[in-house]
Amino acid sequence: MTTTTTGPGSSPPSTTHEATARGRVLPFPITGQEIVLLAVIVVLWVVLSLATPAFLTAGSIVPLFVATAPVALIGIGMTVVIITGGIDVSVGSMVMVCAVVVAEQMVSSGLPLIAAVLLSVVIGGVLGLMNGVLIAYGRVHAIIITFGTANLFRFLGLQLFGGTTVNGIPDTLDVFGRGGSGRTLGIPHSFLLMLVIAGLAWYYMRHTPGGRHLYAIGGDANAARLAGVKVQRRVMLAYALTGLLTGLAACFVIAQGTATLAPNVGDGMELAAIAAVVIGGTSIMGGRGSVFGTVLGALLVQTVTSGVTQLNWPSQLASLFIGIFILIAVGADLLRQRTRRTA
Amino acid sequence: MSETPDTRTPGAPAPESRDTAAVVRLTVRGVSKRFGAVRAIRNADLSVHAGEVHALVGENGAGKSTLIKIFAGAETADTGELTFESQPVTIRSTADAIGLGIATVYQEPQLFRDLTVAENIFTGREITRRGKVDWAAQNAKVVELLELIGLPARYATVPVSELSIAEQQQVSIAKALAGDARVLILDEPSAILTDTEIQVLFGVVRRLAASGVSIVYISHRLDELFVIADRVTVMRDGETLGTWRIGELTVRRIVELMVGGILEDTPDEHPLPTAEPRLVLERLGLDGEFADVDVAVRPGEIVSLYGLVGSGAAEIGETVYGMRRATAGRILLDGRPIAPRSPREAKKLGIALLPADRKGQGMFAFQSIAFNISAGHLPLLSRRGVWMDRRREREVARDFIKRLSVKTPHERQPVSAMSGGNAQKVVLARQLVERPEVLVLVEPTQGVDVGAKEEIHKIIRGLADEGTAVLIVTSDLAEAIRVSDRLQVVRAGRTTVEFGRGATQSDVLAAAAGALEEAA
Amino acid sequence: MSTAVTPAAPTRDDQPAKPATEQSLLRRLPGTLLRALLTQRIVLLLVLLLAVVVTFVALSQRNYLSAAYDTSYMATALISAVPLVMLGLAELLVITSGRGGIDLSVGAIVSLTSMVFGFAYGQWGWSLWLAILLAAAFGGLLGAINGYLIAFIGYPALITTLATYYAFSSVAVVINDQQPISTAPIQKLYSTAASVNVLGLPVPLGTLTFLIPTAVVVWLVLNRTTYGRRLYAIGTNDVAAQWAGIDVRRSRFTAYVMAGVVSGLVAVVTVAQFASARPDAGTAGNGMALPAITIAVLGGVAITGGVGRVAGVVLATLLLVWLNAGILLAVPGNAGSQFQLFALGAVLVFAALLNGLTTRRYGGR
Repeated sequence: MTTTTTGPGSSPPSTTHEATARGRVLPFPITGQEIVLLAVIVVLWVVLSLATPAFLTAGSIVPLFVATAPVALIGIGMTVVIITGGIDVSVGSMVMVCAVVVAEQMVSSGLPLIAAVLLSVVIGGVLGLMNGVLIAYGRVHAIIITFGTANLFRFLGLQLFGGTTVNGIPDTLDVFGRGGSGRTLGIPHSFLLMLVIAGLAWYYMRHTPGGRHLYAIGGDANAARLAGVKVQRRVMLAYALTGLLTGLAACFVIAQGTATLAPNVGDGMELAAIAAVVIGGTSIMGGRGSVFGTVLGALLVQTVTSGVTQLNWPSQLASLFIGIFILIAVGADLLRQRTRRTA
Repeated sequence: MSETPDTRTPGAPAPESRDTAAVVRLTVRGVSKRFGAVRAIRNADLSVHAGEVHALVGENGAGKSTLIKIFAGAETADTGELTFESQPVTIRSTADAIGLGIATVYQEPQLFRDLTVAENIFTGREITRRGKVDWAAQNAKVVELLELIGLPARYATVPVSELSIAEQQQVSIAKALAGDARVLILDEPSAILTDTEIQVLFGVVRRLAASGVSIVYISHRLDELFVIADRVTVMRDGETLGTWRIGELTVRRIVELMVGGILEDTPDEHPLPTAEPRLVLERLGLDGEFADVDVAVRPGEIVSLYGLVGSGAAEIGETVYGMRRATAGRILLDGRPIAPRSPREAKKLGIALLPADRKGQGMFAFQSIAFNISAGHLPLLSRRGVWMDRRREREVARDFIKRLSVKTPHERQPVSAMSGGNAQKVVLARQLVERPEVLVLVEPTQGVDVGAKEEIHKIIRGLADEGTAVLIVTSDLAEAIRVSDRLQVVRAGRTTVEFGRGATQSDVLAAAAGALEEAA
Repeated sequence: MSTAVTPAAPTRDDQPAKPATEQSLLRRLPGTLLRALLTQRIVLLLVLLLAVVVTFVALSQRNYLSAAYDTSYMATALISAVPLVMLGLAELLVITSGRGGIDLSVGAIVSLTSMVFGFAYGQWGWSLWLAILLAAAFGGLLGAINGYLIAFIGYPALITTLATYYAFSSVAVVINDQQPISTAPIQKLYSTAASVNVLGLPVPLGTLTFLIPTAVVVWLVLNRTTYGRRLYAIGTNDVAAQWAGIDVRRSRFTAYVMAGVVSGLVAVVTVAQFASARPDAGTAGNGMALPAITIAVLGGVAITGGVGRVAGVVLATLLLVWLNAGILLAVPGNAGSQFQLFALGAVLVFAALLNGLTTRRYGGR
């Protein structure tokens, strides 16, 4: 047992007051894995800036942040879903549906910014809700349902594309893009917005009953039900939330692309988001994890991708490093769990 | 072997007629519950007073856990009346029970490992301020509860996964108390606790009772009832026999009530085996589980290790089978020291083991009987170790269905569709295919109805008569006495007293409970 | 007995609907059939398959389709069934091994092994047999990496194979600097992907050389060998398997190795089909893993392990392939291939919901 030798009841009352006086009523907000991740990212940045002087310049960092935003945003939703013990492999196809609808509307009817974002978020929300209803009330394993809906959404998206690309997309969404209009004080809007949402999600997950219930469900859904948690409704909402965030992420994806949208938009984003979540220290078994870890995970993934390009290595080599990072992150977690159990 | 289950033990006091002074909080009258063909509870009556510690005792399968599940809303009664504070009530769900103030602490803690103690206690009823969990307020209340329960206050912010099992159980009690419980049901709370932890638990229980909470206390450790209980209700075969004040009873009397009269074991005809022991455990020990265990089993002999849950008896059996590795002493098989590192190695040495948890460790639930039997003997039932010999597999399965009188239309039936006793016979059959020299049986008749129990006991006797050395690990005293040639009591991880044939239940029980002087 | 406080409402445990004994056999028949349809995946798939074929043949005879939907068309369509069935069987093996078994990396294994096969056969001038053997062995090696991490170290299968998906597909692209290998010997392989005449039907050769042998071998392994028993045992209850003396870790490891071997063979099929060893053979677009898992689940493989049959996977593939083939004729142009996705998704969700329902209704699996 890892507990200290203080016997039951023998602890002096002073400990009580210390604990409450310091106001630390929750475990430290940043986990060991997050600190390690941050350190890894810093080391990578230092190494990369030494290797290629161009790395730590605005011309390189801004695209890095812009590219991180959508994966991190989807990753936030995915974190919530995985904490409940589920998974959503349909987000990539969801991005496709949202992006093609919004892009076509912008081309055909000159949709303004707010309406475009709203439309995208609503579509994402509806698709997410569909997943949520099927998983929570159909009582089917999440991975099966979302594999199924991934195909359905992809079908829907391809139908909307109609076998061609969407061309001549106006620059309505450039506020989320890489260009000058996408930045305030040099920080990309999309990244900033993602950080704000991450902060809100962090607060919700950490400080509200709803958020804590999501952890409880992932820990032991049956015990949560016995404790009076509305398990099905919470699970459904987690998928709906992921849909909403994926809708917003689709706008970011349009913004960072060119005026042309191809049917391969969103390909592999579900795997990238899951990778970010897992590297960020969230347990795939549910019940444990944090949104900030996911943001760091997404940043690490994008740093690797960007670094490989900067070093003029074959860009696909980045995937190899991402795979290795996933194995290391999960392996470290396994090791921690095991030592804790046998200690 | 004959038992006289229906004669009330002479000398046992009549159940108390009426208790006028106390306030009745919870009563059940005429409650019955069936599971398929098994009548788990027949016509049970129970009345719990405010502020009392009411012990519920009975052998395994007597119906205690079903009865408390009915209180907790985890099962619904088929017939019967429930009243709570003089009002007739129906409890259809756990929520109904919690709403009435009936809280249950199960043997297995229902906790979220990755959440803190404070969060666990408040999950589902968080204290909030403007939508945010009021951690400080929650924490303050938890600190109070922890003090009451006897855990250090700093545990409030520690994840449950970092606590010991005993501490987790104390947290479960705190969780039950957080909702202002009027009735607290404790299902064998002491089974996994050490003696000092039990003292702390008793302190908590007494304080709660003094504050007016009714405690329903289930335990197999009868000696502790005399320390903690005010009244005792005894169950046997699904019926409540009555309720007595603790002062009217002794350990011996409770046991006699539990087993139904004095056992008149007719001495077995067969001679005691005298051959050299086949299996010998010599000062065997495993850190944290058991120590200095000495056991010898001869061919043709049945030796029982009788111990309550948590006594270490089950772990001794697992060590012989290679599931755990001993840290001290040695195991001798026919005089040669062995150290099996896995069940596979143990099986090669001729040791078979029937695991305790049929569903978790024994059954391949939705697979066929033949599959379940052959799963442990694939090389034997194969051609050149690769191809299944399906004809022999079928023959073996049919043979065992006949030999163990398994009730089934054919060997292709999935075991999940069978009764507990039949499924247990199938799992037992798996251990017998290769005629093991040493057979370890852990809780061989747990969750098995009376008829099948008798049959399984006969099978075990038959195996011994064929020359198998049988080691039974059981917490069922009647079983230990009925089938074994010798019986050793395991308490706190050590083999203590040994009994030969003709031991009485109360003697053994007293030894197991560590209160030999009381029973004498 | 006194009055009941609670009506004897059936709990979930005793819900299995038992046909009342007084009912006549004849009256029970529709119920029995419905039950078989709902609980026996094979029966359901057969009925659906029949419905699909009958529908399209009828449509074809009334000239609603752009070409004839006849036996020779159906035989030709089997070309796309080859990789689907094989990878579906690979997923069957790992999913059946239990503990959340799954393999997201099969497509990446196909990609990487395609390149290795391309080098061996297309550049180093190995003989075809030796190159195929190499592909199988190399696929098995990649599967062994998955299996080692999952079975021996205890990594969750989903994450492990996600990581190896990334790693393998990356190496596949980098290994030949993103270039496919389509030298003369490779191009000549295309002829092996042609059709042969079987009973007057143009059956794709790959069906006979790869699909049927793989299905037969996997069926034999699962149903006739001791290993098959071990695999079902660990998938049903790996704790009980350990108590029964089964080497759980080695058995689970072997499942991933076999999935790798099958994926390696699919690489050969794919190279022949495209007349080129492409670095993204198994990972382009949606990749091969997703359809393979879909096929397995549709074929009745329980994601919780211990349940799954070769016939289910084969029937599920035939259902999809012939449904797709029909859709292609019914919906002109590009849209046809998109409806395949719809069919795949809709049938999967339907089957999964049905599974959940029947589990609750009949308590069976």
